[in-house]
Order: sequence, then C-alpha cells, then structure tokens
Amino acid sequence: MSDLDRAIAQLRACRPIPEPQVRELCYKARELLIEEGNVVGVDAPVTVRIHTIPALRLALMNGLQICGDIHGQFHDLMELFRVGGDVPETNYLFMGDFVDRGFYSLESFLLLLCLKVRYPDRITLIRGNHESRQITTVYGFYDECLRKYGSANVWRYCCEVFDYLALGALVMGASNTLGTSTSTSTNESGTQLTEEEEIEIEILNSAGDVMSRIPRSMAASSDNHETVNSSPLSETSRGAPARSGPVGTGATSDSLGSVGNPGGAVLCVHGGLSPLVETVDKIRLLDRKQEVPHEGPMCDLLWSDPDEIEGWGLSPRGAGFLFGADIVKLFNHRNNLSLIARAHQLVMEGFKEMFDASIVTVWSAPNYCYRCGNVAAILELTEDGSNGGYIPRANGDVNRTGDLLGPVAAGGQISGPGRRYRVFEAAPQDSRGMPAKKPVADYFL
Amino acid sequence: MSDLQRSFVKAKLARLPPEAPMSPEPLREGHEDGESLDTLGILHHDPHDDDASSASSASSTGTIKPLASRNLFARPGGASSKKSQDQLPWSDFFEQELYLEGSFDKENITYHVYLTPPAASGPLFVTHHGAGSSGLSFAVFASIVRKMLPSAGILSVDARGHGETVVHTKVPRDPSQPPIDYSLSTLSKDLLQVLELCKEKMDWKEQPSMILVGHSLGGAVVTDVAKTGELGDKLLGYAVLDVVEGSAMDALQSMQTYLSSRPPAFPSIASGIEWHTRSRTIRNPTSARVSVPSLLRRDADPNAPRPWIWHTDLSATQPFWENWFIGLSKKFLEAKGGKLLLLAGTDRLDKELTIGQMQGKYQLQVFPEAGHFIQEDLPERTAALVVEFYKRNDRSTLVLPPKVADILKAKQQQQQKQ
Repeated sequence: MSDLDRAIAQLRACRPIPEPQVRELCYKARELLIEEGNVVGVDAPVTVRIHTIPALRLALMNGLQICGDIHGQFHDLMELFRVGGDVPETNYLFMGDFVDRGFYSLESFLLLLCLKVRYPDRITLIRGNHESRQITTVYGFYDECLRKYGSANVWRYCCEVFDYLALGALVMGASNTLGTSTSTSTNESGTQLTEEEEIEIEILNSAGDVMSRIPRSMAASSDNHETVNSSPLSETSRGAPARSGPVGTGATSDSLGSVGNPGGAVLCVHGGLSPLVETVDKIRLLDRKQEVPHEGPMCDLLWSDPDEIEGWGLSPRGAGFLFGADIVKLFNHRNNLSLIARAHQLVMEGFKEMFDASIVTVWSAPNYCYRCGNVAAILELTEDGSNGGYIPRANGDVNRTGDLLGPVAAGGQISGPGRRYRVFEAAPQDSRGMPAKKPVADYFL
Repeated sequence: MSDLQRSFVKAKLARLPPEAPMSPEPLREGHEDGESLDTLGILHHDPHDDDASSASSASSTGTIKPLASRNLFARPGGASSKKSQDQLPWSDFFEQELYLEGSFDKENITYHVYLTPPAASGPLFVTHHGAGSSGLSFAVFASIVRKMLPSAGILSVDARGHGETVVHTKVPRDPSQPPIDYSLSTLSKDLLQVLELCKEKMDWKEQPSMILVGHSLGGAVVTDVAKTGELGDKLLGYAVLDVVEGSAMDALQSMQTYLSSRPPAFPSIASGIEWHTRSRTIRNPTSARVSVPSLLRRDADPNAPRPWIWHTDLSATQPFWENWFIGLSKKFLEAKGGKLLLLAGTDRLDKELTIGQMQGKYQLQVFPEAGHFIQEDLPERTAALVVEFYKRNDRSTLVLPPKVADILKAKQQQQQKQ
C-alpha cells in the first residue's frame, strides 16, 4: 500500500493526515493542476453494466458524476460516493466549494485532492468562490485548519492549491439517451415506457430506484397525452406555472425538456457566465493562478447566477452578475454547447433545470449547514454503448442525427444530453460527531 | 498569520479610495495616546488588532490556544490616561442637529436627529440605532462615510425614548400598557415621519436617494420600512447590522440576565465610557467617547453616589422584544431594494437567511473581529462596505452589459446599412 493509498484510507475514516504529508500532497497536486488548462476537457465514459439480479448487479464502469457544492460536509460526501459509485470505478467532476461552513472542510478537501493525485483522469476538480483566501478566513476553513493543526500552514498549502484549480470543464461526447438504468424496479409505477423509448431525464433516489422518468418526446410534443399522464411529473412538466413538484423544480416547471439536435458539449463552471466571456476560448485565455479577484471574468465565472430576467442584471450577492435565458441560449449556441452545468446556489430539491434545460444547477450538500433541510443531487452523464455503438457527437453536421429524434429541432438549440439525477439525503445524524453548539450572543437588542 | 494579515489588508486597501481618508482631530489625539483605534486600524494595521480579532472568531468556532503574543487579557486601553475617557461632542461628527415636531393621534413627539445634509443629487444614508443606544452610535461611521463620499448626507435618528427624542402623550395611556409604545410598526412610522419632516425642514424639493442602515433593533426598523415600500424608488437599498431573527429570538431569553449584569449607574460619564471599552461592549475608544454620553442621564436624586444612570430602561421594553424580530428574515428577503447583511459572526445566520444567502438573494459580509456594535467597533470598514454597497446599487450610474436582443437588433441594422 502506497503512502497515498494510506492517506486516502485515513481520510476516508475522517482523520486528518499529518502536516508534512499535506504539504507533499499539495505540492504534487499543484504539479498536476498546473498542467491542466483553465477549461479541463473531460470525456463522458462509456457505461457498461452487467445485469443479473439486483443484489449482484455489477457496474464495471459508471458514467460521469457531476457534483455541486460540498462545503465540508464530509459524511455527506461519503454518502455521495455511496450513491454515485466509488472511485476509481466511477468518474467524478466536482464543481467547487469543497470547503467552508461544514465542520470537515479539511478532510473533505484533502480526500478529494488525494483522489485527484491518485487517479488524475478519474477526478476533476474546478474552483468555487469559496476556494479563496479571503472567503475561507471568514467562513470556517481557516479556523478549522488552525484548530486541527495549531497553525495556519495547512490552510496556506491548500490556498496555494486553490489558485491552480481549473475554472471550468468541458464534457465531450455525452450521450443523448440514458443507458439502461441500474434499477430493475423501473416500471412499477405503471409507466408505459419501453426500452426503446428515449429517456431524457431520469431521477433516482439514493437506493438507485427510479423515481421518475421523462422521455424526450414528451417535452417535444405536448399532445402526447398518454406519455405525459403516465409520468408522475405530468401535471407540472407541461408548463404549468407552479414551481412545486416532486423533485427538481427544473424538471417540473422551468424545464420542458429539450428538443433538437444531439451532440454538443456540456460546460461545467461553479457560478455562471460573465459579460466579458463570450466564448469558452476566452476562459482559456485568463490568467487563473491568483486569488479570486473582486471583479472581472474570473470573478463572474465563480459568482454569477442565472435568473428569470432578460439580459444581465445586478447580482444581489455583491459580486458577479445575474444572467437571463437569452444570455444562456446565445452562449450555448455560439459555443456549440448543449448544456451548462453549474453549482453555487442552494436548491432545495438538489437540482434545478432552467431556460428549456439549457442550464442546470446541481447542489450536493444535503441539509446544508446542518439546518436547511434540503436534499442533494448529482448529475450523471453517460456515453452510452448500448445504442448499437452509435454515439451522437457534435461534429458540426447538425442534421446528421435529426431523424433519430423524431421531434423537430426548434430555434437551433442543441438538445441536452440524457441526464440522470441521483437525489440523496444527509448522512444519518449520529454518525457525525458534531462539535458542540456555539453559545448564543449575549446582547442582541 | 502575517501573510494572511498582509493579504487581508492589501485587499481592503485596494477597495479604499486612493487617498487615505484624513482622520478627524479627535482620532489623531487618541492615536497619540498609543491606543489601537479601529478607525485607523485598517491603515495602521498593527498586529495587536488582528490578534484580538482571530481570538474572538475562534471563540465562536472552537478552541484555539492563545499564543503568548496574543494579549488576550490585555485591557484595550492599556495604561489609559484620563484624557482618553473624555467625551467627544457630536459636532465633531455631524454638521447639525434638528428637533422636529411630529404628531400621532394620541401623542406628540419631538424627534431629535443628527444631520449632515447631502450635496445636490448626493445620496442620504439614514441610520437607525439599536435598543438602548442612540443616534451617536453612528457618529464615527457618519464622518468616515462623508469623507469617502463627499456628496453623501447622513441622517442619524434618536429613536423614541432614546437620546433626546421625547414623546408627549396627549391621551393618558392605559396603565396596563407600557408607558411608551415601542412596537415595531410605531418605530417604522417614526422613521418615515422623520424623513418627511426633515425634507420639509431642509426645504428639499424631493427626497434624496436613500440607503437605510439599521443596527440591531434598528435593522428590524429599516427592514420594516423597506417592506412598506413607502419610500418608492428613492430607496436604493438597506443594510442590516448584526441582527438575525433566529439568533435574536434565541438571545432574548438571556437578555434580562445580561441586563442585570450591567452596572446600574456610574459615578461619572468618563467611568461609563471606561466601562464600555473595558467590558469590550464597545471596542473602539473613540466611538465610545462620542456615543456613551448619550446613553446616560443624571439621576433625579442629586445626592446619589453614582448619579449617572441609563437613559433608556431596556427592561421596560421587554414586552416588545419578540414583536421587533418576528418575521424579520422573511421581510428582509422580500422587501425591494439592494440588501446587505453585516454580521459579527457567521454562526448568527438562521435557517431562512442561510438558504437565502446560498441562493444569492442578498450580500452577506462578516467582520468576525467586531463585537455586536459593529459600526462602532469597526467604523472604517463598516463605512467602506456601506459606501461600496451604495455605489453598486446606485441606479443613476448603473451600466449593465447590453441585452442580447439589443445586440441582435444593432447587428441587423448594421447589416441593413451594408
């Protein structure tokens, strides 16, 4: 067992590793990260599964799991790995905000960093707005390092790594359809879906059971009543203004699914778009090896939020911008993207698709801050080998796969890839050994 | 640690106006006394300041062993000379004070406010103090805001029963009711009435653009005023300092215990100032020297050994405590305008505001090194933050990138021309 494997084992048990080891780890991580571009290329891996009986189901290789904010909730990160599949069998992309707020920022970030160094091609880490010196001194990570090591050295090593984290990732070759689900209990709810029918969105609970499926055709043709009614999401998914729904407000109201041409890459970024960044290539040109600035493109990528507005708006956060559907659609069109995946905003349902599924927020910290009562989600993209080996990719020839989809493309928007959301709740309370509650302030009038 | 300090100070300095704001006379005086003034702390960042700060933030998150150099138990004033306990007059910080006659159905009220009027088209920062405090709680803050933004005006009110604002009841109040009506809705009406009276008195054609700033109870008042929408688009935004519904409600239970632990009276104003700095209730001596005198008044009994008693009987306001804070988080998120929440500790957020913050609905800033009286402890940083908040929310200068539809239109027109 190598030192690195030992460190991984120790961190998995939620025990910090010694300071010299952190130093070495951070050094190695920096050497690795410096080689990555500002926008990391990631392939959606082929999913191959062997189905026997559920208990013996064996996943040789899972898809790519895209994860949102973690915020030091170590036990929930373990739950995430349980739900999404273990490393290195499963590929992971974490969209930043590993630290702060939770009580185990240190263990969470170091574990992810160890996994990155150990399996560089299996783990992708990009930077969130909390991966910054200024923010971590206020929101907990700095204090945690000081508490656990008695000095700020480890915090300093980590901050140096933060400066090298990529700003975004581009997932190529994600399949338009979802592969066969891991669950065998799919059709219990009476859905009339056949294996051949193209599923655009699938929502699974933490046990891997399908909670709902949304076929692509449903989104495209609203007169397909049979399909619509068979879905538990039918009422709201047909464009009713109500935002309430089973899970994932996006799938239930904001998003009507997507139509059009397959292919197109998925851009992953922590916050969102910037008025100063019209193309993905512009991101590649930034000098990222610095503290997150207070303004400018790098700041916006980590701080901005999508909102129901037209154009750009002032962000109430005090940094970054708000951007509307028109901005997202133009950006996706210009860059041949089918979807933007981002984190940064708490979503009570774990994920939220917006603007005709052109952007999705993924949130992976259940019961955020141990008090918000939200569920978490991760987004799985696959390059599906089951479709006769046919892999729809963006190759500039937009009509090539048009026939396969049936419904006609609208407005030149590239359809989203097949999206499987795994929704999970916080790890059991008793496994967490939370530090004692802080005393309340004594004066408050 | 020193790296951290350096980066922190650098970041802060970068945000300050290029010219260092001149410190007013009294501040300089204090500094010669060798005191660490937080107002200047940002420019003369001595390590002593930060040690106190990290110690205070640590106390809320866990255990950090104090280093020998930390001076945790040092008295903030050090070997304080008598001079440093002297009170400072309000006129060092505001241009004028106004007495405004307001009236309600059952009472007349003489409002007392401090005002530095805005220059033409300049914004007006309206500040409302917390319970038991006074308009002078924002004195140092006000003078710094003015230096950072010379066109800005500052209006700091004394709430009813505080400072020099006096209520005269027309109809005797029901004896079963508290003698003064401190309910939130009344305090909000007071603030709106003051703004109207002030406009009349100053002969303003219309209200200037406003940023409301409220500390503690004042935060609840400005939020309530913002929620009424009565200021219309004159209200650019509101800032709430160190009050959150959840944690305030929790703290109310221990309030009486806290109040009873305060000395009931002081032999002199200087000793009152000294108590506030020594107990770290107010951690900046300059702030304490201007604000504390207004918190005390002479006992009616001329022979009392400790003739200076608290001006406002906080215990008597207890019937209103819950009323002040219930629904605050919801109102804060719902009211129109820019929203800034400045806290002295992250753990003070309740569930509603934690969700709101992580959904990006308002701007949150935390100064862990400050105590509850943030604007008095760190007036310089608070002022810099509020001025920046104003600039961001100032609609007259706001330039957003063009809308996509406009870009497309422009392109089409270009093509047509060609």
